[in-house]
Amino acid sequence: MFSERERERYKRQMMLFGDEGQERLKKAHIFVAGAGGLGSPVSLYLAVAGVGTITIVDMDVVDQTNLNRQILHFDRDIGRKKTTSAKEKLQEINPDITVNAIDVKIDEINAADLVGQADGIVDAMDNYPTRYLLNEVAIAKEIPFFHGGIHGFYGQATTIIPGTTPCLKCIFPKAPPKEVFPVVGVTPGIIGTVQANEVLKYLLGIGELLTGRLFIWDGMQAHAEEICVERNPACEACGGIAKKTTARKKK
Amino acid sequence: MSVKIRFFARFRELFGADVMTDVVAGTMFTSLITMIAKKNPEGYAAIFDETGAFHEFVILMKNGKRIEIADAAKTVVDGDEIAVFPPVAGG
Repeated sequence: MFSERERERYKRQMMLFGDEGQERLKKAHIFVAGAGGLGSPVSLYLAVAGVGTITIVDMDVVDQTNLNRQILHFDRDIGRKKTTSAKEKLQEINPDITVNAIDVKIDEINAADLVGQADGIVDAMDNYPTRYLLNEVAIAKEIPFFHGGIHGFYGQATTIIPGTTPCLKCIFPKAPPKEVFPVVGVTPGIIGTVQANEVLKYLLGIGELLTGRLFIWDGMQAHAEEICVERNPACEACGGIAKKTTARKKK
Repeated sequence: MSVKIRFFARFRELFGADVMTDVVAGTMFTSLITMIAKKNPEGYAAIFDETGAFHEFVILMKNGKRIEIADAAKTVVDGDEIAVFPPVAGG
């Protein structure tokens, strides 16, 4: 059931997917790993779309150098916890959703518990070791993993459905080196929005997901393309799990 | 015979988007990419390590299908399209 305020708020998108779709979003719980460049647009768009519960995790404090791209955080937030800043903005932009903001470093011990009963994990991390960890949690819980990564004007994204699509380790068996990466805010804006779009389609059960395809964005050329990616039967993360027949969230 | 090599992301800045090249029969993937990469020392270092092997994170594709670095010793054929892609890590 929706309040009058919610009906007004979501009116223009309920033209697309009706009460049933909006109800699906409201009942959904999405885990956003990171409240930085990608986590900002992802969580903002999921919040305004009415995803009922958003858990966002980050361990950092807002730094002035974050502000060219991490649009959840404002100048006044410098020195504050990113989770505090994120929760404040997301609740302000949509008071009708629940936001859990957890200030912790995601590690092997806490990752599965942090994700809890979430319906999907959004990868808004800046390093591969944590991405691999979350990829394994997604496989264990049989929930989707919405990957995104950026560098400068370039970005990549793909949607991983455990048992159906290649997992992160199938696609990228070896991590690129960690670096202080150059970036302009529009790049995570574009890739994060692609990820949020994937989450919404998955939850709504509509459209074609970015599955089995790596989306590659070249902002310098304003050119997007995709490359096919396949499961690695010998993958150390997902090689043992059987192929699934459904790639959709159950009603 | 002619082979097309496509570079993505950072590699594109270093080599340009697409390189068409004429090769002789029997040319290996590795030697072809090495030959092109050597024209740009910075680009070479981005793709290959100091022993001349591909950095293990580099993604190689042939005609839209992933090829393992271990298979890069195989030979190219006329019309092949090879993609060289660096995964990006930022977020």
